[in-house]
Amino acid sequence: MVRGITMVLVLIAVQFLLVISLGITGLSDRMLEAVIGEELRALRPSLAETIRDPDELEYALRVRREELQTSYGLDRPWYHRLPEMVSRVFTLDLGEAHTLRSFTGSNRVADIVLERLPNTMLLLTTSLIFTAGIGIAVGVRLASKVGSLSDRIVSYFSAVSYAMPAWWVGILFILLFSFRFPIFPSGGMYGTPPPPAGLFRFLDLLHHAFLPIITLVLASAGPYIYVVRTMTLDVAQADHVTVARAKGLTEKVVSRRHILRVAAPPIVTGLVLGLAGSLGGSILVETVFNWQGMGRLYYEAVVGTPDEMVIVALTFMFTLIYVIARMILEVLYVILDPRVRYQ
Amino acid sequence: MERHRLLSELKKSGPGKVGVVLFALLITVSIYVVFTYPPDFGPIRWSNPAVWADNPKAAPPAWIHLFSDTRPAEHQVFETTSPVHAPSGETHDLEYVFQIPFTHQADEPPTFLSFALARAVYHLRPPVVTVLLERPDGEEFTLYREILRGPRPGESPPYQRHFTEPLRVLLSAERRAVEAVAGFLKGLEDPVPPQEQWQRNLTAALFGSPASPEAFGVLSGDYNLVVRVMVNDPADSVEKVRAVVGGSVFGALGTDILGRDLAEGLLFGLPVALLIGLTASLINTLVGTSLGLVSGYLGGVADVIIQRAADIVSNIPLLPLLIFMVFILGPNLWIIILILVAFSWPGLTIMVRTMVLQLRSGSEVEAAQALGASRTRIIFRHIFPHTAPFVFAQLVFFTPSAILAEAGLSFLGLGDPSIPTWGQILEHGFRTGAVFLGYWWWVIPPGLLIVLTAITFMFLALGMEPVVNPRLRRARSWRLWR
Repeated sequence: MVRGITMVLVLIAVQFLLVISLGITGLSDRMLEAVIGEELRALRPSLAETIRDPDELEYALRVRREELQTSYGLDRPWYHRLPEMVSRVFTLDLGEAHTLRSFTGSNRVADIVLERLPNTMLLLTTSLIFTAGIGIAVGVRLASKVGSLSDRIVSYFSAVSYAMPAWWVGILFILLFSFRFPIFPSGGMYGTPPPPAGLFRFLDLLHHAFLPIITLVLASAGPYIYVVRTMTLDVAQADHVTVARAKGLTEKVVSRRHILRVAAPPIVTGLVLGLAGSLGGSILVETVFNWQGMGRLYYEAVVGTPDEMVIVALTFMFTLIYVIARMILEVLYVILDPRVRYQ
Repeated sequence: MERHRLLSELKKSGPGKVGVVLFALLITVSIYVVFTYPPDFGPIRWSNPAVWADNPKAAPPAWIHLFSDTRPAEHQVFETTSPVHAPSGETHDLEYVFQIPFTHQADEPPTFLSFALARAVYHLRPPVVTVLLERPDGEEFTLYREILRGPRPGESPPYQRHFTEPLRVLLSAERRAVEAVAGFLKGLEDPVPPQEQWQRNLTAALFGSPASPEAFGVLSGDYNLVVRVMVNDPADSVEKVRAVVGGSVFGALGTDILGRDLAEGLLFGLPVALLIGLTASLINTLVGTSLGLVSGYLGGVADVIIQRAADIVSNIPLLPLLIFMVFILGPNLWIIILILVAFSWPGLTIMVRTMVLQLRSGSEVEAAQALGASRTRIIFRHIFPHTAPFVFAQLVFFTPSAILAEAGLSFLGLGDPSIPTWGQILEHGFRTGAVFLGYWWWVIPPGLLIVLTAITFMFLALGMEPVVNPRLRRARSWRLWR
């Protein structure tokens, strides 16, 4: 339960961090001005129909602007508007993007960001599943033969894989597998023109997703194998395992009931900690592979004409994904560890 | 004592030894760079296009010909300040002659030929500059003939020309050079390539002779570029003449799309990476350890607050928040470092606190308390020394994370623009499409350097592991992620 509260606090802390930095730097003022400007622009044609005199029209618009400024709280300093701003970020009600557009042409920040969410989730969950599978299978095996050649090789591989930026590995893959040997596409999600919906479209997606997923898995599997190996090893050296062996239990039973069962919770924790890494990794890897997810959007919002509101929305979304994922794993934890029971 | 053990253990373990050797190497190169590079290398050299104007653009490293059958044209730069002939003072001898002899030995013509002239002074009338190319087959092409800029209204002699900006001429694209080549070809009896074909790439004609009606063969041998400056007053002078024979390859690591020598930029990136890694790590260790000591030893409200804060901060996903904060606060190297620390201290705090809790109830602290030692004395003399090797290992261990984080930020275009880093070189390459054009020399070396630096610290950390965690020595292994 403490963990759950912590995660909620994390979300709130990030919220406040976002909102306070927005306020101090004056970004929030600009954001509200933009919203008001947009409303006035929409109002002008309808007002112009009833009010013919241009001076009178300008006056009416100015009055309306002041009304709006009061209602949005622009006449008060930013810290008085805090709660309102928090709720704006929460609902992604962040107005309109400068230059970025959603695929359907909308320029509302919420549309742009939410549209990309499934693409990012696809990349993240697939690579997380592969990482978990490979990490647990290889790690547990290695723990049973510590010091062997394969153990050492994998250990060095883990160190190297930790030191390698995933995005750079992605670049190498593009150089190798799409420039030197054109096997895989260098980026994007579908070929041009995209194949008709159905099986071919799905296969095309797989073809495009292959390199980014391999990159993400390669970057996170190395360290994770090592976590699993070490955790298993720790438990395998405990006294209760020696006792189990002394009782004459078969090696299979010992490893399944006395080692893996005990090592499972920390192994899951390792995966959770790795998640934060792969979240960051996915931002950069999406950028490299032009994968139309939130990470690529981040890059587009930073480079060129910076789009502040899109950046705010993305930061919040990434934190939210992380917090939700941690909550899910928290539930898994309860199932795995018999000592943890929520009343 | 613990410190000595740390060092001896480092020497004993395999990764430790490799780490120490690599680290010594990195430090040596960094010291060399710090002493030979200007401190404001970024703005005055790296980001200054004038410095790189003479270099070939996006040229691969010079050593690639070892792996191919053809010999590429090498990049050659010549500069001379001493004319082979200067005005002797007699009325009819008023000419400076500079000679730049060079050899062209390659299976392809140079990519371009250019010349530059700097710091000319005249008193009466502006001098006439003529550039000739003498070829190994005895032919002579006039490539350029122009008069320097005349006096401006209100200007008085001596007239100084090209003192700040040299006169730079791309000879292989000059109108007069085209005429010279056309004249030469007209004099030949065999069918020659049509003008539309060689006009686009004049160097093929300048450095070759027609091998067939379609193409030129390369003419290897000794060339001579002659620059004649005809003056009107014996007191007139020209200080410097420079010629560039453009190659298709360049230096040890090639150039980027702006002609910048990548080897130079990458070398500068090393001390920067070490600075980022070590500074961030040092501040992080300082903050993390002191909070851990306070939290563990004092207990009470301070403990609760610090632990809650650590719990929250350690659960914030780093990169998204890092991007946001750097974007909001501006891409400055020190801001990047501080933000990195602001999100990374909790790990160390939590671990140090756990150790302090154990030590606090130990007999050593109890004895010190019984003797009436003050709280600060106990913390610094009886608690901190026990955690020191562990803290030191964490310092080494955090360094690569900081380097990798900065590289990732730079790759997203959030690097400090005044200080070139490896991540920024990669970002520039990626943004301008180097990856998709196959400019491997632009994207592989910076990444390799990042990996090498990060791995050096990883190895050092691994080498210290047995001291920090003695139980692992029994298992004859090292542990990376906790």
